[in-house]
Amino acid sequence: MSTTAGKLLKIVLLLLVLAGIYALATQKHKQRENARQATVALTPGCAEKLRRYGLVRSERYRSPYVLQRTGTAVPVRGYSDEDIRAIQRGCNIIDDTQGKLARDPALERWNTTRFIRGSHTSCDHCHQSLGDKQDGHGNPLKGSLSLGAAWVMADMYDRFTGMLLPFELRQMQCFINSSNGYKPNIADDVLRDVTAYSRFLSAAMALKIGNHYDEQGIDEIPASATSKQGDDYVRGELLYKEKCQVCHGRQAFGLEANGQLVAPALAGPNAWNTQSRNYFYYVSTILPGFICRNMPLGAENTLSNQECRDIAYYISNLPRPAGDRQGPIIALEHQALMTFMPPLMRLMESNRKGGVAADPAPERDK
Amino acid sequence: MSQQILSDSNMRGEEKQNARTRATAWKIPLMVGLMLSFVLWAHFASGVRVFHSESTSESGWEKFRADYGIAYFGEDGQFVRAVQNGYNLVNYTHKYASRFTRKTAADRVNSCASCHTPEDLAYGFVNSDRVDPKLGKRISFEDRVRWCYANGMEGFVPTIYDPAVRDIRLLARAVAHHLQLTEGALRSKN
Repeated sequence: MSTTAGKLLKIVLLLLVLAGIYALATQKHKQRENARQATVALTPGCAEKLRRYGLVRSERYRSPYVLQRTGTAVPVRGYSDEDIRAIQRGCNIIDDTQGKLARDPALERWNTTRFIRGSHTSCDHCHQSLGDKQDGHGNPLKGSLSLGAAWVMADMYDRFTGMLLPFELRQMQCFINSSNGYKPNIADDVLRDVTAYSRFLSAAMALKIGNHYDEQGIDEIPASATSKQGDDYVRGELLYKEKCQVCHGRQAFGLEANGQLVAPALAGPNAWNTQSRNYFYYVSTILPGFICRNMPLGAENTLSNQECRDIAYYISNLPRPAGDRQGPIIALEHQALMTFMPPLMRLMESNRKGGVAADPAPERDK
Repeated sequence: MSQQILSDSNMRGEEKQNARTRATAWKIPLMVGLMLSFVLWAHFASGVRVFHSESTSESGWEKFRADYGIAYFGEDGQFVRAVQNGYNLVNYTHKYASRFTRKTAADRVNSCASCHTPEDLAYGFVNSDRVDPKLGKRISFEDRVRWCYANGMEGFVPTIYDPAVRDIRLLARAVAHHLQLTEGALRSKN
């Protein structure tokens, strides 16, 4: 009798636990649905961008950008309130991925921080001007990693993964490697909202599906596009100090002032990891291409191909996290490098300068 | 005497060893031959699609390929093969997605093409990922395809990653490129 009672008790307990899990899941689901329905507080950048592209609720959408540039804009399907909120949230995620401008980051950015290990990462560090970088005349810039142009060319063969890479999977790679973090589920609101925003950008620019545009991806710089001096660490270091250090800090660990990020880390625990395509030893053409076309801010396209490769080579030799697939030993090695190298470098520099640090710039994450 | 016995026993051991070597000598080539035969059979004679790196060329594919300018994406390669598989899935659903449909060749409506033209799919693709007011949630192109398998085909729901879904999206993308559609493009009523 007591055995039967014990068994019944176990079954009841199990059912109670399952019911608890179900109730919790239902509550979380409801919370998400409420967040989807909530009004979106736009970041200043997104408010300006979406206003410029005329994102309002209507049956038909005519892009003011296309109208202004060509004198005519073919109407396409308009956006409902729900569609607009998704686009707005996507734009906010690109502009302020970790929700530093949000009142409630967990609510307003789907808690995107949980997919990122460092504290610096934001999508618009690479996808500048909210994934839609243009010159003063409104022309998209070559090799500027446009999100709209990336959407129309999604699903194509990717030589790095050897597969037909969907837009969502590419975003996952950004989270895993460029953000040195974790991948969201393919159906996660984070990915879907970023996709919605990217698709809106492609509509605003009237980009055609499957066409290649100059602003898509990186304008890669192979060694063959240089004066063939070879990539040089010393030249790279000198150039870094001259062109990049003022924003990114002496050891490229990024710069923060008054709790605000001034420039992201290019090395150290907040930077991309060694499985990222930005890592020179993994792909030697991408980081130089990014630097040449997108850096320094406001003076893009001023560095020579060789200079970009030298800077990229120098940056990639600085300590940074290992990729997830490289295993615990390599991870430990990189962690040790990130821990011990910076103080050693500081010590060496102070010795070189007679014990006085020359750069008073406040550097974070030492 | 004992040396003679020892020598005999050694000879017998060697003979045994030689016999064993002779016995196993033909086993290795046999196993290699068997494995090789299996690989060759699997690729060339089995007819099992999973062993083929190329999609089967069904009737109408060459015309479709020419009509929709699939050569833009190359003569061959992963994307073109995926589009070809998409073509097979759309036009011969009962054959190529038999896991996800209850329809058979005998049914009047037995494929995606029974209801949708390639243009329908392309316009559906560029208008996807929007909130469906009837359902009250955002519906992706993949969701629609899965819905079709479950309802239109009276079958089962593939995962979002399944080639039975992905290759139809790629077909829609290729056709959308040929039609030079933009995001949200509307179909002319003419």
